[in-house]
Amino acid sequence: MKRLLKLAALLGLVTVLTTGCAVNRATANVDPSANLSSLKTMYVKRIADDDNTYNLIADKLRSKGVTVSTGTEAAPSGVDAVVTYIDKWMWDMTMYMLELTINIRDPKTDFPLATGNSFHTSLTRLSPTEMVNEVVDNIYKGAK
Amino acid sequence: MIVAAHRPYLLAALALTLILGGCASPADRAAMTPQNLTVSKHHPYSLRVQTGGGAETGAMDSSNVSDADLKAAIEDAVVRSKLFTTIVQGSNGDYELSVRLTSLSKPVFGGTFTVDMETAWSLTKTSDRSVALRKSVKTSGTATMSDAFAGITRLRMAVEAATRNNIEQGLKAVAELKL
Repeated sequence: MKRLLKLAALLGLVTVLTTGCAVNRATANVDPSANLSSLKTMYVKRIADDDNTYNLIADKLRSKGVTVSTGTEAAPSGVDAVVTYIDKWMWDMTMYMLELTINIRDPKTDFPLATGNSFHTSLTRLSPTEMVNEVVDNIYKGAK
Repeated sequence: MIVAAHRPYLLAALALTLILGGCASPADRAAMTPQNLTVSKHHPYSLRVQTGGGAETGAMDSSNVSDADLKAAIEDAVVRSKLFTTIVQGSNGDYELSVRLTSLSKPVFGGTFTVDMETAWSLTKTSDRSVALRKSVKTSGTATMSDAFAGITRLRMAVEAATRNNIEQGLKAVAELKL
């Protein structure tokens, strides 16, 4: 019976480990017609009830040499790009950021010039700063 | 001997493993292909399609759209609708169509599942790299309890519907261009 229980436990462990209990995904892509290095000024459009993610994104973009402003209103004229984001949070002992998607858009047409997404479930959770860093770094890695 | 005596339990444990391991399935490329798509124009050029931003579906993940399946569905729709004369692989086409999945918002609970999708479509003329189209295409797809009882199947159907609608809108926008 003990052997059976061990076997069942092993199968359970294999199931959990191989079916994505710890799911990690980090992707980014840049439109072939876009040139990220030419985007010197950006506006991070803050989600109304977000209290910090927009700041982390703005700071990370500033570290890339971009002049960044933020706000909840429509983007001011003259910026090279508008940055939008979707952050999804989950509870597991504490709240953590499950998924972050960042889009860098053409301010005139709303066309997504570049997109990055990171998804980390609880066991491999990252801090909000690490999530933002990962997404923005991956976007710029994919740039020409 | 012990194994033989507990064979039913072992089989049950294995079945549970397989069931859990196989619970999520990716969006099906055939189901993502718009059927009976009619376009206003047929462009006498060859087209290369490239896709990005998709994701494979992990078994404990929810249904995703892979780059390969999205590419195949778009190519199939182009061929069926005769929007372009031919589809080419590699870099020899007259035009290059880039479709990037930029957002796929899926519900976690509910009876009726609605999935929202955004893709970035750009069409470039290969010879001079001029951009003929840049468009954000936003669509949604819905599946109800009458479509499927199992939540994972319902979600997959909603993802497929959102993608199908997206491809249809994107290709109709391409058809309106004067190339």
